[in-house]
Amino acid sequence: MALEGELVILREERHEDQRLFVELRNDLGTQGWNVALPPTYTVGMYVKRLEAMEFSYERDSARLSVVHKETGELAGYVTYSDVEPRIGATIGIAIAKPFWGSGVAFDAQEVLLRFLFLELGLRVVHLWSHSGNLRALGLAEKAGFRICGRVREGMYKNGRLLDTVVMSVVREEYFALHPEFEDLLPAPVSPPTAIG
Amino acid sequence: MREEHFRTERVALRALESTDAGALQTYLNDPALLGRRYIPWGMADIAPLSLSRVEEILDSWAKEKKALTLGIELRETGELVGHTGWYWGWDTHCPSVWIAVATDHQRVGIGSDVLLLLLTHLFENTPAHNVNGWIAGWNDAGLAFARAHGFIEAGRIPRCGIRDGAYYQEVMVDILKPEWLTERGRSYGA
Repeated sequence: MALEGELVILREERHEDQRLFVELRNDLGTQGWNVALPPTYTVGMYVKRLEAMEFSYERDSARLSVVHKETGELAGYVTYSDVEPRIGATIGIAIAKPFWGSGVAFDAQEVLLRFLFLELGLRVVHLWSHSGNLRALGLAEKAGFRICGRVREGMYKNGRLLDTVVMSVVREEYFALHPEFEDLLPAPVSPPTAIG
Repeated sequence: MREEHFRTERVALRALESTDAGALQTYLNDPALLGRRYIPWGMADIAPLSLSRVEEILDSWAKEKKALTLGIELRETGELVGHTGWYWGWDTHCPSVWIAVATDHQRVGIGSDVLLLLLTHLFENTPAHNVNGWIAGWNDAGLAFARAHGFIEAGRIPRCGIRDGAYYQEVMVDILKPEWLTERGRSYGA
């Protein structure tokens, strides 16, 4: 079964994806949330990074390419990392500007969350952003994330001091937003509905 | 209290060596310290540690390139009574700090001495603007300590683990350089 949503498919990253990933990394508007990086990354660097990945059944992180179903075009990628098995993980997303506002980012995030909650059985998913990235914060809120931490003036970017923002969505909140799924995973705590 | 770089009258922060493994194992395995030992991520923080596991921890700390962990030594006796450090993985602008003191040496001011040394170092010798810490939500003593030293709660991250049948949060606390300077009776740029 593919990781498929209404608009996108999430699949393994391939050599031919690396050109777009380099573009996303070298664009200050899409390259990430923390410290700015020089726009000097190359496809060669990214191919080496891809080829350095080794086979393992023990994975605590992944990067998945986001493919637009209708056109077959590569739209960006989603990631998860810092997996605490059956507890939580942190996600990230980078989508090419032509797809902004198209619903692709939201759909990709939804497919990833479905995988993390229904397949990996996580109890919480976190993400990190900053107070200047209103697009990312809004996207996360739409999926049920809530701001749970704000490190004051924790970042300096684009000439401004910004707050580092941490957002989380817990399992019960996710399932409440998705009545089409039934949560059959026993809760590890008592009472089982405790948000915590 | 007079503080030199990494030294107060009472404590000194010093490099940890492999010969510290025994002393480290002794206080890390104190049941009262479990869950707040600030050992490397991914290691079980709620179980007793063998000597070889403690040696792995020392090795891991020694190899860190974006964090520094130092031992807390009592100057009078030379006893190792804890460890502390800071991590600047993302950005030297916003490092995280931690302190672990052996339970039989807590509540005598050692943590306050150590925190003063950490903040003096970070705010006066590095580009740090925000210094933050992560404290388990059940660690009332740790939270009270942070508040008493001017840290402000920056958030509560849900479900960072399970303890005694319940999820627990990690509380983020932080202090800005201007706040710290004001507390010290100085102003920014002075």
